Amino acid sequence: MIIRLKKQVINILKVLKKKPSEVIATDLAKELKIDYIVLMSAINDLIEHDLGYFKEEEVYQISLNDEGIDYLNNGLPERQLLNILLENNIKELSLDDFLERSHLDRNIFYVGISNLKKKRWIAQSKASGENKVFITAEKFPKTVLERFLQKFKENPTLERSLLSKDELVQLDLLNKRKLVKKNNRTERIINLTEKGKKIDISKIKELEQVSKITSEMLSSGSWKNYDLKPFDVTKPGPLLKAGKLHPMIKLINEIREIFISMGFTEIRGPIIESAFYNFDALFQPQDHPAREMQDTFYLSNPEVAKLPEQDRVKAVQETHENGGDSGSRGWGYDWEIDTAKKTVLRTHTTSTTIRRLAKFYRNNEKPPVKVFCIDRVFRNEKLDKSHLAEFTQVEGIVIDDNVTLCDLIGLLSEFYRKLGFKKIITRPGFFPYTEPSMEVSVYYDKLGEWLEMGGSGIFRPEVTYPWGIKDPTRVLAWGQGLERIAMLYFDRDDIRDLYINPIKWLRSQPY
Amino acid sequence: MPTLELKLERLEKLVGKKLEIKDLEYDLQWIGLDLEDVNVEEQKVKVEYNPNRPDYSSPEGIARALKGYYEIELGIPSFEITPGEIELYVEPIVKKVRPYIVCGVVRNIDLDEDEVATLMTIQEHLHWAVGRDRKKVAIGVHDLDKIKPPYRYTAVKPDSVSFIPLHGDGYPMNLEEILLIHEKGIEYAHILEGKEVYPIIFDSNDEVLSFPPVINGIITTVTDETKNLFLDLTGTDFKAVNLALNILATTLADMGAKIESVKVNYKDGEKIVTPNLTPEKWEIDINYLNEYIGLSLSSKEVIKCFNKIRFDAKQSNKKGYLDVWVPAYRGDIMHIVDFTEEFAIGYGYEKLPLTIREGCIGEYHPIQSFSNKIRTIMIGAGYLEVLNFILSNSDRQYNYMRQEYLEKDHVQILNPVSKEYNTTRTTILPKLMETLLYNRSEEKPLRIFEVGDIILLDSSEETGTKREVNVSAVSYHEFADFTEIKSTLDFIMTSLGFIKEYEVKPSENPSYINGRYGDIYLKGIKIGEIGEIHPEVLLNFKLEFPVAALELNLQKII
Repeated sequence: MIIRLKKQVINILKVLKKKPSEVIATDLAKELKIDYIVLMSAINDLIEHDLGYFKEEEVYQISLNDEGIDYLNNGLPERQLLNILLENNIKELSLDDFLERSHLDRNIFYVGISNLKKKRWIAQSKASGENKVFITAEKFPKTVLERFLQKFKENPTLERSLLSKDELVQLDLLNKRKLVKKNNRTERIINLTEKGKKIDISKIKELEQVSKITSEMLSSGSWKNYDLKPFDVTKPGPLLKAGKLHPMIKLINEIREIFISMGFTEIRGPIIESAFYNFDALFQPQDHPAREMQDTFYLSNPEVAKLPEQDRVKAVQETHENGGDSGSRGWGYDWEIDTAKKTVLRTHTTSTTIRRLAKFYRNNEKPPVKVFCIDRVFRNEKLDKSHLAEFTQVEGIVIDDNVTLCDLIGLLSEFYRKLGFKKIITRPGFFPYTEPSMEVSVYYDKLGEWLEMGGSGIFRPEVTYPWGIKDPTRVLAWGQGLERIAMLYFDRDDIRDLYINPIKWLRSQPY
Repeated sequence: MPTLELKLERLEKLVGKKLEIKDLEYDLQWIGLDLEDVNVEEQKVKVEYNPNRPDYSSPEGIARALKGYYEIELGIPSFEITPGEIELYVEPIVKKVRPYIVCGVVRNIDLDEDEVATLMTIQEHLHWAVGRDRKKVAIGVHDLDKIKPPYRYTAVKPDSVSFIPLHGDGYPMNLEEILLIHEKGIEYAHILEGKEVYPIIFDSNDEVLSFPPVINGIITTVTDETKNLFLDLTGTDFKAVNLALNILATTLADMGAKIESVKVNYKDGEKIVTPNLTPEKWEIDINYLNEYIGLSLSSKEVIKCFNKIRFDAKQSNKKGYLDVWVPAYRGDIMHIVDFTEEFAIGYGYEKLPLTIREGCIGEYHPIQSFSNKIRTIMIGAGYLEVLNFILSNSDRQYNYMRQEYLEKDHVQILNPVSKEYNTTRTTILPKLMETLLYNRSEEKPLRIFEVGDIILLDSSEETGTKREVNVSAVSYHEFADFTEIKSTLDFIMTSLGFIKEYEVKPSENPSYINGRYGDIYLKGIKIGEIGEIHPEVLLNFKLEFPVAALELNLQKII
């Protein structure tokens, strides 16, 4: 049978055949300058053809620790001490002076002294009353231990299995003096089988390199005869044109989840709205600047909307004119029904909130009612970096008995905490349809600054009384533009980007 | 929101306390002011105030509030008004055009440069915040010593009176000419539009003080030498003219001037004396305040809160109630609920505790949940989601798509700031074509979708329109064709469980290629359209490859 191997495997086989004995895989990889993984996959090919094998062996390696390296360079303490005596031609020295001159640690000093004594190179005597040492030998050859230590000079790590019996004794000594450290690891030892040693390289055929596996190769089994070309796995792949949600939708869904988790139900209302629901029912006087043409999109088709039941329209009219039954003085002007009938593109989702209050009234509902709305609103503005004519508003409403401003602060903290802002402050603010009113700011860790988020407050009695919601039943409300949060989340500084769909950006958005 | 520049040095003098910019930055927010800008070098700050507080339109007004916040002065500030002898007569004819006037006299003014500047800005701000750009209130400031009382507020035929107006060419003009030629006349002519007679104020020598709300006569010009002022405030709202006068007078009093009252005699009615700075008294339930905010303060503590925001307050004869007096420069108190906020500001928003109330189970809106289901399906089909405006441009929405556009059949915006938007969308597809246009150089295939609102005219609806939700998808690349988009539609219908119940009937649509278009039906109802886009449409959107598209109405499927 003809043996077919990849070109690289053949080359490795050639190298192995020239080696006198088994080789350690990591050494061979280093020698061939190839990746260890690549080498082992080649060895696996050899194993498949019964040309080679490997075994795993635990390798004990020894190297010197810092102290050992110090002695390797400067001599063992006994040698250092001896040199002091020899170099200064000292025959006898008091132990205390010796310690001082040696600059050695007291313990190490005594280890050195004790080893010199064991060698009988020095002796110690208290004869003169003082504890002194004397040189007692004439020659001071290199010790076996010192010679063994020198082995580390050539090779910082020694393999335990390659040491002789005598060397092992010396290693034991170093070990006892705590001068070595041991590393154990598993090495693969590669060797050729008898077949591998004998095989004639010229009889081996090279596998053809291909980049793709075809279904034919698989069914016929011919894939074995090909070498699959390796890929550069570090390279980026081509762009995947996959489906993905728009970041704004993900954000909206996230906020929707937050509301649902806080017990709020989602509401939805008309985008084209009557001025009645958009302004009048919010106690915005008919000459209020916000109602003017330059701020609001009015429609010429359809030009007017139908108003709700007459008595409710009248109730709203009265709050404007004289406060009605709300206890207010009203604005004191003549309210015009035609102004209320005008159609507008709603300027806030609060118009939908009012419709919810109206439903509460009509169905004779009981509190509590908690609702929210995340939806499009419109302002008659020219588009620029920070202004849109159409954007998304987030609004939350609670209708309940005896609810307080402090309850509203509680809701706001909870809502913004869930959005990822741990600290909020609420400051006095002004909105025509809430009293008291609060501005909300959150602390944004990333920038380390306070950011204004939105408005909040308790709906004025002039707003709720026409819908039968009377003290101590009150309506807490808060709202803000979603784009403000979106710009932070997506790190954009041009608000228009959120609605012009740069595909490159959409495809690359992590969020 | 109106903004005001404050010099630290001046504010310190008014408040009577050393102030640091960084402290101000913190403190101002608790009295309802927003710090817009800080100029450390020049020791100036710029603050923004809310339109319900026109009394914040001068450093003097802000200092009043700060003094309360720092507890330097509590309760209503005292202002002395000397009863004056000067009179003004109001003739009944003005009722038709500008019915109300109130006046005041200011003596011994000695204004420094900053104070003169304040006097100018405060007028500007009051015109805006209280006066609705002079429609509701217009202010005239005159040199008292150049005119001879008593004065007369009346109305005259436009061409019957001539005088030399301020900021004119120095020639006399009649009222009609002023409205036609004079800069201020042109600006404010709309307020007098359609009126037969125009308001005017004369002195007893028939010299013209003012032609409100347009321009003063040159004769009363205020100069460096002016020692005494005459103020006139005319308008259409009695409360508003009084409020503006009170704010102006108290500010001038805070500058050290002497305020003197004027007798305003309506010939057919009341004789009043203005400015009238008498505080207004309200009776407030202490429990109501505490329950509204969520506190439980004693009456003594509540009184302190009111004193800090410069209201007077004391125990009422009625048990559990307070008598609270509101200073005459505050115009925003119209309901007892307005005291809850004042109380909370006096207590300090920063000190309010937070409480958590439980209850209620939340629910998704069905159409939103269904929209999300469709989004999941579209992503599974490999489509990238985009978002567009509901606002739309009829040219691209219809003409580019080869669809007929009749104004009567579509929502029409009356007053768009930009011509870009003149209607709202009825289908999403044209928006996706536009998205392809902007992204046509991106790596293809481009497969995008949008789920969103459309608006349809419907006279049976309350608002004359109905709002529905559509999904549209387009595929744009060299090999995009009907088969591809049909596979997508089949996938959507399979995912929704309608694969056996839906059908595509061959039909025609000008936006699509004939023979490669069909109407989509579900249980006999048309729910959408599918096909290959017409080459002319492709060219209109500057595209160079075919587009296969579909659009479904979710309202009809849900």
